[in-house]
Amino acid sequence: MRNMVVRLLRNEIAKTSRTKLPYFGIFAACLVAVLAFVVTEESGSGQTLNGWGYVGLSMQMVFIDIGLIFISIFSAMLIAGETGSGTVRMVLSSPLLRWQFYTAKVLMGLLYMIVMSVTAFVLSIFLGSLRYEFGNVADAAGLIYAKKEVAINFLAAYFLSWLPLTAAVLFGVFISTIAKKSGQAIGVVVGIIILLATVKHFIGIGPYVFTTYVGSSWGVFHQVAQGVDYQWSPEVWKMVAVSVIYCFVTFAAGLAIFAKRDLNG
Amino acid sequence: MSPQDCALRLNNLCKSFGKICAVDNLSLEVYPGEMVGFLGPNGAGKSTTLYMIAGLVHPSAGTIEVFGHNVCKRFKDAMKYAGTMVETPTLYEYLSGRKNLELISRLRADVTDGQVGDILERIGLYERRNDRVATYSHGMKQRLGLGMALLGQPRLLLLDEPTSGMDPEATRQILTFLQEKVKTERLAIFVSSHLLYEVEEYCDKVFVINHGRLIASGKVKDILAPHRNVTQVTFSGTAPKCDELLGNEGILNAESVSDDTVEITLAKHDSSWLNNLLSKKGYKITALVPKQKTLKEFFLSVTGERENA
Repeated sequence: MRNMVVRLLRNEIAKTSRTKLPYFGIFAACLVAVLAFVVTEESGSGQTLNGWGYVGLSMQMVFIDIGLIFISIFSAMLIAGETGSGTVRMVLSSPLLRWQFYTAKVLMGLLYMIVMSVTAFVLSIFLGSLRYEFGNVADAAGLIYAKKEVAINFLAAYFLSWLPLTAAVLFGVFISTIAKKSGQAIGVVVGIIILLATVKHFIGIGPYVFTTYVGSSWGVFHQVAQGVDYQWSPEVWKMVAVSVIYCFVTFAAGLAIFAKRDLNG
Repeated sequence: MSPQDCALRLNNLCKSFGKICAVDNLSLEVYPGEMVGFLGPNGAGKSTTLYMIAGLVHPSAGTIEVFGHNVCKRFKDAMKYAGTMVETPTLYEYLSGRKNLELISRLRADVTDGQVGDILERIGLYERRNDRVATYSHGMKQRLGLGMALLGQPRLLLLDEPTSGMDPEATRQILTFLQEKVKTERLAIFVSSHLLYEVEEYCDKVFVINHGRLIASGKVKDILAPHRNVTQVTFSGTAPKCDELLGNEGILNAESVSDDTVEITLAKHDSSWLNNLLSKKGYKITALVPKQKTLKEFFLSVTGERENA
């Protein structure tokens, strides 16, 4: 069973590597990271930053808008693209089960999210190292946080940032199971993200929407990098809870819909 | 005969989309070593039936068994035996023909080393194997789809319009190849087609459905058995007038086919009786042939359809 998921995932990687959109998304993320570097220099805000703070700011800029949108679009196309072109019928009439196909699609979405995240992270560290130092956080009075403590928080912020992005992947795949064409899926996903971004705070649902937390872990880490008191709790717990709930609900709903769906032309 | 001996068994299969009943209590059996044609006018339920057999559409009622394995309950076991091409092949256009085959071959445990290359040669795409599918003609895509269905060691092939878009030579090669596999490897083939002359030439059996119901079935050789009472008579010189022939007792109908040929329908006698009668009357006959039915005539008579013939 697991072997089949691995084979399907290999197929997904082979297909993805030969399409343009994933590269375009990663290129856009890198471009935003470079823009972050330029903007902080031009605006002079970089003078108050250290290397840690710069990377946190850069990652927030990359993923709050562009990264989130591209990850959602990529995920939304995973099944809808195959439904629209009809290739899903060719694959699913092979001796495999629908949950295996669905799981492989989810894993591909997660893999893409991780690749984009790692690329942006490494590029931000590289750019940050050109101008800033990644050392202890200190002020005129002396040491505030040792380099080791900052590095641990830095990695915690990085890996925690995957949680809302995982929810974005599963949300995209969920929409992908409903849509009949990739264009339809992209329209719905982008529309929902923009709509939520516009109205969530007006109608008071911000804390319950996973997109709210895309930059949260970096926001907390920014306090560490600034040398002020920081608190992971309760913000991080809200982020974990909301993201995990979105992940479970969208995964289960998407799987249920896909398993029951008639895939006639 | 055990259930495993039957390649495909549909038992009271039904499928409704809302209020529309696409397939209604369909039951049929296909055995190894048979090439079976599945016929019906547009919208008769052929594709829905094939989709259900391939596990793409869930039946509303009834069962589907492939070599004794229930498709709804043991899909993987059932599909191990089946190769499918359930519609105009939908392929990854941005990948090469070889890559398309390799992707599908990964999903089948029974694909042997080198089978992808063998299939590419067999379907005549070896030279173009590394070209993107987007550059293929419709007929080439059709052949690649067929190649995908042949991957592994399938014992049942489900094919929907397999030769659509192919040139006559490619069509003949593919169908002859499939017919050979039926004879030598006892492969079972269930093929939906609008091309009645292909079905007539290559299939052993046909099932005809209309409005989701099975309305006729039988062996092709029985269906195409000569008309018992219709004989085509070719006269030496100009044929006599039909009225003149109708004046004879025992002749129900006479229709002129050409200047020297008349199609005569007899009430109960056979063509040798007709031969005697016409000879006695002094007509000189050069040929007297019992008229052969065609599958098209059979199809039209059972479906009442004219536009799809």
